[in-house]
Amino acid sequence: MKRLTLSWRLLWRNWRAGEMKILAVALLLAVTVVAGISIFTDRLQSAITRESHSFLAADRVINSSQPIPLEWRALAQQHRLQYAYSTQFSSMAFAGDAMQLAAVKAVTEGYPLRGKLHIATQPFTTDPQQITVATTIPAQGEAWVDARLLPLLGISLGDTLEVGEKPLKVTRVIAEEPDGGNSFSPMGPRLLMNAADLQATGVIQPGSRISYNWLLASEDPQQLQAFLQQLQPRLSVHERIRDVASSQKRLANALATARKFLSLSAMISVLLAGVAIAIAARRFASRHVEQVALLKSLGAGAGQIRGLYAAQLLWLGVITSLLGLVLGYWLQAAIVQLVGDLLPVTLLAPGWLALLPPALTGLVCLVCFAAPPLWHLPTVPPMKILRRELPVSAVRQYWQVLIGLLALLLLVAVFSGDWVLTVSLSAGLVVLVALGLLLARLLLNGIQHYSERSGSRWRLALASLQRNRQQTLIQTVVFALAVSLLLSLTGLRTSLLEDWQLQLPPETPNHFLLNVAPHQLDGVKQLMSDNQLTTEQFFPMVRGRLTHINGVEPDEEKRERTETLRRELNLSWTDHLNSDNKVIAGQWWDSWPAGGRVGVSVEQEAARQIGLQVGDELRFSIGGLTLEATVASIRSLKWDSMNPNFYFLFSPQSLDDFAPAYMTSLYIPSQQKAFINTLLRFDPTLVVIEMDRMLAQIQAIVSQVSRGVELMLLAVLAAGFLVMWAAVTSSFSERQQEAALLRALGSSRKQLLGSLWLEFSLLGLMSGVMAVAASEVLLLAMQRWVLEIPVRWHPGLWLWGVSVSVLLIGAMGVFACRRTITTPPAVILRELA
Amino acid sequence: MLSVTNVGKRVETSAGELEILKSVSFSLAAGASLAITGASGSGKSTLLGILAGLDVPSCGEVELAGQSLTQLDEEGRAALRAGHVGFVFQSFQLLPGLTALENVMLPLELHGVSDARAKAETFLQRVGLQQRLQHYPQQLSGGEQQRVAIARAFASEPDILFADEPTGNLDSTTGAHIIDLLFDLNREQGTTLVLVTHEQRLADLCQQHLVMEGGEVVGFNGQVSDAGVLTT
Repeated sequence: MKRLTLSWRLLWRNWRAGEMKILAVALLLAVTVVAGISIFTDRLQSAITRESHSFLAADRVINSSQPIPLEWRALAQQHRLQYAYSTQFSSMAFAGDAMQLAAVKAVTEGYPLRGKLHIATQPFTTDPQQITVATTIPAQGEAWVDARLLPLLGISLGDTLEVGEKPLKVTRVIAEEPDGGNSFSPMGPRLLMNAADLQATGVIQPGSRISYNWLLASEDPQQLQAFLQQLQPRLSVHERIRDVASSQKRLANALATARKFLSLSAMISVLLAGVAIAIAARRFASRHVEQVALLKSLGAGAGQIRGLYAAQLLWLGVITSLLGLVLGYWLQAAIVQLVGDLLPVTLLAPGWLALLPPALTGLVCLVCFAAPPLWHLPTVPPMKILRRELPVSAVRQYWQVLIGLLALLLLVAVFSGDWVLTVSLSAGLVVLVALGLLLARLLLNGIQHYSERSGSRWRLALASLQRNRQQTLIQTVVFALAVSLLLSLTGLRTSLLEDWQLQLPPETPNHFLLNVAPHQLDGVKQLMSDNQLTTEQFFPMVRGRLTHINGVEPDEEKRERTETLRRELNLSWTDHLNSDNKVIAGQWWDSWPAGGRVGVSVEQEAARQIGLQVGDELRFSIGGLTLEATVASIRSLKWDSMNPNFYFLFSPQSLDDFAPAYMTSLYIPSQQKAFINTLLRFDPTLVVIEMDRMLAQIQAIVSQVSRGVELMLLAVLAAGFLVMWAAVTSSFSERQQEAALLRALGSSRKQLLGSLWLEFSLLGLMSGVMAVAASEVLLLAMQRWVLEIPVRWHPGLWLWGVSVSVLLIGAMGVFACRRTITTPPAVILRELA
Repeated sequence: MLSVTNVGKRVETSAGELEILKSVSFSLAAGASLAITGASGSGKSTLLGILAGLDVPSCGEVELAGQSLTQLDEEGRAALRAGHVGFVFQSFQLLPGLTALENVMLPLELHGVSDARAKAETFLQRVGLQQRLQHYPQQLSGGEQQRVAIARAFASEPDILFADEPTGNLDSTTGAHIIDLLFDLNREQGTTLVLVTHEQRLADLCQQHLVMEGGEVVGFNGQVSDAGVLTT
């Protein structure tokens, strides 16, 4: 206890003497930045996840072709989950003589658990006044329908339609369904009804193709996870758990990229903070060697000294961590305050788990970055108090770097949970530092040659760089590291945002048009051109099932497991490959034997699931007829391009005998939304699928994530500044002494200021060139392997990256060392004596 | 109090092994005072370091306060210093971030003395610095700084005090005051005193006098020996 009190007193005295300030500020900043990032990311992440869950109308959905066992509800209640059921199937809807295939969804109270169901009292309205958020589900005996069902059945709101034997009064039009745009299906317009009416329709018979969904949600993700873990063993081949990733590939991809970027930002902040802490600790250690020798002469043993310094670090760690957590919370609160109104989602309260990374950061930074440079202090020989020249055996620098790197690995792994990212970045950094040291050494040698032929300011600046050769090398590499990480992150953010925008360029098709009969094709094209709307291509389409593979019928279990074997597929043919499709195995039709067998090109994921290879023989059942085809190629394709895409594309004309209807995708601007009515009036059997709302939702999420990404950059920038500051001030005492001596010997203030500018600008230049080269390589590698986005060069980076580095480091160095020039030399010399 | 037998010190240098202390032997009774003099590089500071347990000899035996220093490890020697040894240095060795009072309190706090503050205040008063308790070293003159160092050395009531050129950084008047103070306290406390100096006046004040040259003892209490091995 006495030792703890003494260590506290020593800490306070060290603090008062200014010995601990940089170390404490570096630690505080590390914890603050990490806490800010962690808490903000956690809140943003949970908000985004929650928002994205609205695509499922739940956090998770248990989907089955069989009724969901009701006894599972007890387990859900035990975990305090919210739940609702939806039963989906296609069925004919009748109104008088008119009939139309509708996509029926019967729901229970509580639907949707996530997201909002928007309903309207006017069909095809875009007027926000007329669109409201449903607070309940359709009452018994009522139905809410897609607006396009009304003209198809020739009815209006308030009229009655029938589903099977049950008459339902249409009371509302569905404007937007949270889980409506999951996958386009030509099952027909939506009809939403109360699940209590399901029995009375009489449409559910043994053998009916029904999709049963159990929607689940919880405020506590851990409860949900625990529930799913317990449920997992009870699931049969019929049941599948669906989450955002499986239901929304496009959104999941955007989120995964954002997550990677955020963890990268956090990791870089930690790295920079760690470097700053290590530099500050080295300085602290070098200033404490004599103090330790004195303590030893006064009778303190090595153990006592180790204990005293460890306890001081512990105190420092606890105080800065607590303070950092509070400041971090304020930081994220300030950020939220700043951009909260712009965020399209309401942020949730942060979880306690978000405090773990910053708390761990403080501890790990102390143990791994601060402790190694201080480790040797207890071994300082007491004799050093009498003989200053005695050597001190510090922990070797490569051990310090290695320990720091291991700490970084640990923190990054905890932060990102991504080992590939962690190891690749760390390896990259090791290479960067090694190459940096080599390059800096070469540059310094070059400078030495030049300094012999230069003026006084230059000579002073170059001599200073040469004299503190070791320090110059370290500073150059540290500056280069900080600048390159900042540049990489800026460049990466630009690439990322551009890539997202490229994914969703303006005028991305936002509607699918299906079921166009061959004889209507010209009429539809004419209507489109009358309204200045264009489309790339109309695809012929038939619905069929894959029944046999190499003459064998897949068994029931395989059908249950494989979606493409379970349901009817959209089949098409085309003679030319869209730009978003790529043949990865086999051959395309231009080298397919003409007049030979029918060929089929299969999408790679479907081929993997079913286990298909080029040359396999497939049999399809299309409207009762049979079509035999050979797998000619395997294709990769981008599902998120919003162009019509198919799992199975046949060789040209091979589907002509199966009475195909045509489909396409097209961009309809919001002000031309009424064009859908024109189309449906032209041919009520046309099916129009509106994807615009879903696209708008994705755009909103992408813009929100990119705002978060920009904020992360600010945090990293602060950490970068701190590292540079620590590196500059680490050489402060020596500089002060040199400047005082030079001034005492008659150098003018102007001369010294000029040489300081030159010295730090030169450091900035060397670091800048190294940093830009390194970030270019790092960026290319990250784009290619980590973020998996198109690779782009950054020529602008060379110009402004180097300029910014020169100016920034030059200004920072001069500012940090201004006291060496402004304080009278006599004062400095007396202080140093 | 202090017994030295055939103590030598060899160090490795780039030019090979160098003997910086050769076969030194003497003993010193409790309460006595000894001056070690000699030119720069004669081995005075090395000998002082070994006598105080700051360093270990390459050969020979040192017994301090009844304990053999060569039998003790680093921790043991530290414990011995904590219980019996005080220091006064040429460059004062005050911690710049600590006030005069805190500098004096430091060894007491390290040894877990409960009334460290009161004791430190008393000793600062005894060296005439009661008005300077909260001053930092850079706010004190050289003489005042050395007085703080003396207060620090005596505050832990050591059995033996080692002083390394205690007046080396001071002008002659201040140096004289410091010498008076040192010897006054030495007498009052009954402390054994070993001091390294090259001031003859200071050496004359000590009961015993050891002269060193090239790592060897060349004179002891006025006697000169070829062998450099002398005992009283």
